[in-house]
Amino acid sequence: MNNLRELLQDADPLRHEPGRPAEQRTLRRRAVLAAARRTPASAVRRPRSRAAVWATSGLMLAAALALGAVLWSMFNSNLQAAIRFEVRMAETRPAAGLQKAKVAGSDRYVYLHRQVIVSNNDIAEVKVIQADTPSQYGIGIKFNPAGADKMRRATRAHIGKPLAILLDGQVMMAPVVRDAVGGSAMLTGHYTKAEAQRVADRIVKGIGMQ
Amino acid sequence: MNKPCVVPALPVIADAAPVERLAALFDAHYDRLYRLGRRLAPSTDDALDLVQETFLRAARRPKSIPAGVTNEEAWLVRVLINIRRDQWRKESVRARHREAAVQDGRHDSNARSPEAGLIARAAVWQALDVLPPRRRAIVVMHELEELPVSSIASLLGISAITVRWHLSKGRRDLARALKTSGGISHE
Repeated sequence: MNNLRELLQDADPLRHEPGRPAEQRTLRRRAVLAAARRTPASAVRRPRSRAAVWATSGLMLAAALALGAVLWSMFNSNLQAAIRFEVRMAETRPAAGLQKAKVAGSDRYVYLHRQVIVSNNDIAEVKVIQADTPSQYGIGIKFNPAGADKMRRATRAHIGKPLAILLDGQVMMAPVVRDAVGGSAMLTGHYTKAEAQRVADRIVKGIGMQ
Repeated sequence: MNKPCVVPALPVIADAAPVERLAALFDAHYDRLYRLGRRLAPSTDDALDLVQETFLRAARRPKSIPAGVTNEEAWLVRVLINIRRDQWRKESVRARHREAAVQDGRHDSNARSPEAGLIARAAVWQALDVLPPRRRAIVVMHELEELPVSSIASLLGISAITVRWHLSKGRRDLARALKTSGGISHE
């Protein structure tokens, strides 16, 4: 008999079928997420398809950080000032050239690379999005093509390691990179709608200032 | 990745935002699961259903999905194979799938290959239907995805010896099925 591997490779339907239909993927994704929203764990939530799209278009950044004190001071210090938004790669262990930084609202430390991957100028759009409960909001950040490309390249080489999101130099979140992503990011926390809107406005204000 | 780094990030992913975690799982693993599913299922639609059902199970049991990309993948792959096994056990479903596989093959070959090649290809692929899904998955992963035995073993949570046993049995069963179908010439 011919070599089994060759036979199977020749008969492999993936080799002969046209590319997977993107719309099928989208439909299936929608069906799965709709079903997930109907499960008891999330039944209490209001539908939020727009939020889901934002939250999952590539990067899922999430952290339940007690940001209260830091954010409170941030909100009160100067409501109109721009916020410097940065994403930097980080490590969990110290090494030469890395900068130690505390993650807000936790006892965790990460070690930041100096290079800024994306900043306010790489942002195309900032939106307030509803988080898991009606009273909590997050901030969805959509990158422009250049920013998305930078994120994609950086995260591809950084899977399994933390990515630090900084507001005014303070590490707000340091979620672990799960997959190479680019299009958008989501900042979650215990924001009220007004707080989230203020932070979003200030991030937008920082566009073009760096 | 070490633990201190994961702990603060995961609670939201795992508990507070199951839908978001599911979406992230879907985005990260859909392509890989589709490739495997398509090679286990008889048609594109069956493969899409299989992948969708896998993620629906993930949606129903979010807390049972382990953390970490590799662990997630292993969990999803096992669920997918189990679903396929349940389907395979139903004889009627199996028969229908075989028929669909042949039809699929015919459809494909019309576009690009002579009929003989098409029939041979369909016969080879149809022969895979004799293998139970887990064994078929092992053969597919080894022969088509070219994963080493050790990787398959850790992905499926079984020993390397068991993987080798499935491979050897799978090859034998396939050879027998191909001989019976007469679609492939023997040495």
